[in-house]
Amino acid sequence: MPAKIVEGKQQDGKSSDLVQGTLEMLILKTLALEPMHGYGVALRIEQISDGVFRVNPGSLLPALSRMERAGRVRSEWRATENNRRAKYYLLTATGRKALTSETEQWHRQIAAISRILEA
Amino acid sequence: MIWLTNLVAGLKGLFHKQSVEHELDEELDSYVAASAAHKQSAGMNPEQARHAALVELGSRNAVKHHVWSSRWESTLDGLLQDIRVSVRMLAKSPGFTAVALLSLALGIGANTAIFTLIHQIVLRDLPVRDPQQLVSFGDSVGAGINGGVDLGTNRMFTYDFARQLEENPGPFLGVASYFSGLNLVSVHSAAKGQGQGQGQDVEDQSTTQAEASLVSGNYFRVLGADALLGRTITPSDATTLDGNPVVVLSHHFWRQYLSSDPAILGKTISINGFPFAVIGVMPEQFNGFKEGSGLHVSDFWVPITMQPQIMLQPSMLVPRKYYFLHMFARRDPQVPLASDQQWLDQQIRDYIRAGEGSVVSPARQQEINRKTVQLLPSPGGVSQLRALYGDSLKILMVVVVLVLLIACANLANFLLARAATRQREIATRLALGSSRARIVRQSLIETLLLSFTGGLLGLGVAFVATRALIAFVVEGVSYTTLSPMPDSSVLLFTVAVSLGTGLLFGVAPAFAAAHTGAASSLSSNARVAPGSGDRSSRIWPKTLVTAQVMLSLVLLVGAGLFLRTLQNLQDQDYGFARTHLLLATFNAKLAGYQPSQAPALNQRLLERLSALPGVRSAALSNDPPISNSVWGSSIAIPGYIPAPKEPMDVTLNRVTGRYFETVGIPIVAGRAITPDDSATSLKVAVVNQALVRHFFPKGDPIGRAFNIAGIVGSLQIVGIARDIKSESPRDEVVYPMVYLPLAQIAPMEMNGSGPVPVENQNLFVSTIELRTTGDPEQTIRELRSAVAGIDPNLPILSVHTIQEQVYSMMTHETLISRLTGIFSLLALALASIGLYGVMSYNVVRRTNEIGIRLALGAQTRAVLWMVLRESLWLLGIGIALGLPITLVAVRVIRQQLFGVGVLDPLTFAGAIAIVSGMTLLAAWLPARRATRVDPMVALRCD
Repeated sequence: MPAKIVEGKQQDGKSSDLVQGTLEMLILKTLALEPMHGYGVALRIEQISDGVFRVNPGSLLPALSRMERAGRVRSEWRATENNRRAKYYLLTATGRKALTSETEQWHRQIAAISRILEA
Repeated sequence: MIWLTNLVAGLKGLFHKQSVEHELDEELDSYVAASAAHKQSAGMNPEQARHAALVELGSRNAVKHHVWSSRWESTLDGLLQDIRVSVRMLAKSPGFTAVALLSLALGIGANTAIFTLIHQIVLRDLPVRDPQQLVSFGDSVGAGINGGVDLGTNRMFTYDFARQLEENPGPFLGVASYFSGLNLVSVHSAAKGQGQGQGQDVEDQSTTQAEASLVSGNYFRVLGADALLGRTITPSDATTLDGNPVVVLSHHFWRQYLSSDPAILGKTISINGFPFAVIGVMPEQFNGFKEGSGLHVSDFWVPITMQPQIMLQPSMLVPRKYYFLHMFARRDPQVPLASDQQWLDQQIRDYIRAGEGSVVSPARQQEINRKTVQLLPSPGGVSQLRALYGDSLKILMVVVVLVLLIACANLANFLLARAATRQREIATRLALGSSRARIVRQSLIETLLLSFTGGLLGLGVAFVATRALIAFVVEGVSYTTLSPMPDSSVLLFTVAVSLGTGLLFGVAPAFAAAHTGAASSLSSNARVAPGSGDRSSRIWPKTLVTAQVMLSLVLLVGAGLFLRTLQNLQDQDYGFARTHLLLATFNAKLAGYQPSQAPALNQRLLERLSALPGVRSAALSNDPPISNSVWGSSIAIPGYIPAPKEPMDVTLNRVTGRYFETVGIPIVAGRAITPDDSATSLKVAVVNQALVRHFFPKGDPIGRAFNIAGIVGSLQIVGIARDIKSESPRDEVVYPMVYLPLAQIAPMEMNGSGPVPVENQNLFVSTIELRTTGDPEQTIRELRSAVAGIDPNLPILSVHTIQEQVYSMMTHETLISRLTGIFSLLALALASIGLYGVMSYNVVRRTNEIGIRLALGAQTRAVLWMVLRESLWLLGIGIALGLPITLVAVRVIRQQLFGVGVLDPLTFAGAIAIVSGMTLLAAWLPARRATRVDPMVALRCD
């Protein structure tokens, strides 16, 4: 897959490549657990990846905007746990389907790449 | 559905940019707040946490820009922004914008106008099923009734031959026929009053004249045309002579004369006094296979078996006598055209052969074997308008394209010059991070904005121009199929032309603009940069101007040749008087006169008209001295043995006593026909010089007797009249002609249809000639009231002066000559503006240099010459390149010219002089300005 780089940082400070297209998948996966606001999504991805991927707002927000237009997520303003207003993103049925199919595709590709590398 | 939400959200984004931006700001704020809160909870102090969060966010505007760019409306917004910028740029230079829009509106408008006509006259298919399967038997443009010719001559066929092919169409899917011309009939519509089922005529309806078309029973079926209301004529409607009084109306006749009566079906209208049942109304677009005759269009269609009632003449459906039908067929696409052709030719040859005696000479047999009538694919049917104007329109289309190209060159030049002056602005934009693509886009949008606005204005120009052109072409005709309203193909054409134009004149300047080097143009000596450094940027404007000179020359020569053609046609010697002569046509048959009543009517007309004030003499004749339609027959001269195949056809005219003095045709020998030539005196004739040259090359023909086919008895030649142009102003050959005294036409004649003599239709005449002492226009009213005084029902079909009659026969020459004249002057004006612009720009650019030259002592004349020299070079090159192109181009129009060679030196010299004059004028103005440069100001400025 041609890789347009979406920035992220490894723990040791080196850049880590986030393959284009995977960002949306990761966002979908994150939102599948519960509705979240933008920073919540970024934080969750960083935490779960043990800090390998750090998504900054310059790529996260456009991605969310694109996904919202594509009908994969929808947004609403809610109060946060510290009683501030934030825009929360929710997965739609379309988004859920997209997540399933993209995950499957991802697994297939990973398996194929692994087979090539192990051959 | 998702695209719909996307669309709605996008539009919301476009129209409520503020609130969208506000929401994004809010989201970013909450993002930073959440981030800071998280960092604080991880142990940072509030200040640090907030700072770190902001650093993580990076440029707030960059994030917002990324989000904005991820949405489709951003592209549209950019486009709108570019359009706004373009509009502002154009509004900033109103002079340029006005000139550009004007030249585009005229250029595109002219193209659209000519295309509208080409589309309607030349390109449009008939509104029938699979029109591409239709073939016409020969070009079928002419019309008339021939006798004593071979089948297929003038593409005319007999009724029995047409019936034979209708019943056995061979390889064709169907073969149909129709009378080659239209028949003027008088219509009395009692339809409205008759709706009550009484079957009585109500006499309150007015009588009108209409054009009737006679068609075979399978005409509509072969054509593949269906009725809008009711049904079309079918083979069962054309079974017996006189027995099928049904009529199918055209849409316009139904609308104009029957007020679109929806219950018209089954009612009767009276045609020439005979009742006809209306069985159908055709759709609006349908005008038949042959779109009328001349400018007239069929008002309705009647079965061919009703020919005697429609033509008010005895039956012409007798075998092998009257050649008056045109034919067409629907081809089977599986069968090759060549075998269709072979079959048709075989049928024609067999038919001719069967009509010969039992012994056929080998020469005649060979002649028969060469007979052919070419099958012509006719998806658009047959149209005399197309035959007359098709070539002119194609030439005009080329002309208007050239005009548009010249306009494009102008605009390209202006834009190039402007791109040069805008280098600094563009360099600044590039330096500020604008992409070259964006600059090209903005520049192209500007030109497209111009070209489409020009196109829109052009549509308006085209509508007005087309309406005027149509009015000119169909002058005096009540209904025409031509319409100035643009249809979808015309609109598509205009859009394509606008787009093409915009790209043509916009691409070069756009890329020139984007080519600007950012660094160099911003440096302090940038003022010198445009033009002086870049060679190509100086070559382009000059090339374009040279091309304009070249094209103007081509157009001017063409216009000149057409102008000379028209002049030659107008100024030539016609052989008859061209002033003080008034012509009127009338039709006594339509008023119900029988042939036997005609002589008395004619006598009364002559007496009344001769007595009119201002009338020097009056005459009646079958045809006016010059006319599209003529009466003809073949002659036999005792002692003259025709060579094999020698045509013995002559043109005939029957005239009253004072015809020659009235019309102004000189008698060169013997005497004219006089009022003394009566039914009881010796039968005489006057012939023209061409007849004498051809048939009496040796001796004096006066006193010799001869016979005319169809006229009983022999005639003695008593005089020789001067040759005249009798059929067309373009006639190069004069046809042999015989003038007969109307008073000596026999009252009865033998008709082919029966053994009994019938009344002679030739007792009727249709033309009144009045020689007036003053302006003939002044006599028109008296003429009308005099005729009405004799019989108010006698229809006067037209009245015009001889000059109008002659001009009406050269309308297409007038049209093409006027239009090419106008267009070539327009082209020249555009080219001059272009040259003026380029030269002015050069002078402004060289103000510095000229100032230095003047300061160093250069004479103003030297400076003037320096500037003029440049334009003279361009002029010289333009003419040098233009002449060979012109020489090739004029060959194409050779056919259209009259009395002038394609290499007419006067025209060429005139065209070159006009181009040179305009060029020098356009160059002299800026040159003079150059000499007025004040050295001090020039050196100090900047």
